[in-house]
Amino acid sequence: MSDDYSIERVKTGIPGLDELIEGGFPLGDTILIAGKAGTGKSILANQFLYRGAIEYSEPGVLVTLEESPEKIKRNMMRFGMDFGKLEEEGMLAIVDLSPSKEATPVSIGEYPSFDLSGLEAIILNHVKRMKAKRVVIDTLSIMAYKFKSRDILREEFFKLTANITRSGCTLLLTSEIPAQNDGLGVFDIEAFLASGVIVLYNEKISETTRSRSVEVLKLRGSKHSSRIHSMRITDEGIRVWPGEISPGV
Amino acid sequence: MSNNDSIEANDEDTRIEIVFFKSDTCAFCPRAEEVLLETIGDFEENTFRLETINVSKNPEKGEEYGVFALPTIMIGGVSVTGIPEPGMIFKMILGAKARQRRGAK
Repeated sequence: MSDDYSIERVKTGIPGLDELIEGGFPLGDTILIAGKAGTGKSILANQFLYRGAIEYSEPGVLVTLEESPEKIKRNMMRFGMDFGKLEEEGMLAIVDLSPSKEATPVSIGEYPSFDLSGLEAIILNHVKRMKAKRVVIDTLSIMAYKFKSRDILREEFFKLTANITRSGCTLLLTSEIPAQNDGLGVFDIEAFLASGVIVLYNEKISETTRSRSVEVLKLRGSKHSSRIHSMRITDEGIRVWPGEISPGV
Repeated sequence: MSNNDSIEANDEDTRIEIVFFKSDTCAFCPRAEEVLLETIGDFEENTFRLETINVSKNPEKGEEYGVFALPTIMIGGVSVTGIPEPGMIFKMILGAKARQRRGAK
């Protein structure tokens, strides 16, 4: 039974993950998916959109700052997730802000007097049009390479995430943890941007074996597992084993 | 090739294309626009073809160009973000003219 104090949950679409976080992400929150290269951040975020559309009839917006839509569609098809079909059915919008776009001008300079109001307008335009419930920005880290003014970006990220979630969407941000780094990303503020942080690992446990795992580092307003759980990338996408504690981390 | 295509090819627009991207909420955009207009005002009339895109009103255009940090000024395929120094705009114009000349040869 719901009351004024209960938190409405959004199913993650990742088998096993909801069991670790009281049934799903809190509706309208910003969740950070952090991990080193190759840990499965983009797959998890894309699966959140795909399963949201297919199983829960929740339209989504995928903002890609790194990979081209063609590459994303090809990668997700490996898991039987047809993103092209979702687009045709009006359940998914892919916002292509990847550097590979032909019309994008070559940046030759930047002055520390800009904002991300354009990004907000572009995303909210799709959210409104699609009546989207789920938004993914993949990946925040690319902004560190695109722009030098980190202080501006930090401030702008706070505004951007607040305005997207205010529209009623649950927002997933992916963040790449650089190798040899103990933080959660390149900006040092990633954890503060989000009310939830999920960290993915792919650790070497022997000369010939790596072990994938997932940790719910924080999730405001939720009792969540404090252990590191086994995770696998299967033919159907990411799956978490809630009862299995990872041997690797 | 259609008749229209051949007419366009013969009557090629040699003006330098400038696109100014702004938004309704961008605090830096009015000053950037002033700097741009003052700088290009020193050139002969009809040197430029200036288009202003308000991304708040026309987000599809911002998306099409992949421009989301504002203000951004694009001159002949290269861009600068933030309030630029006039010298930077001048350099971009000279670069666009040089590219145009190379393309004409």
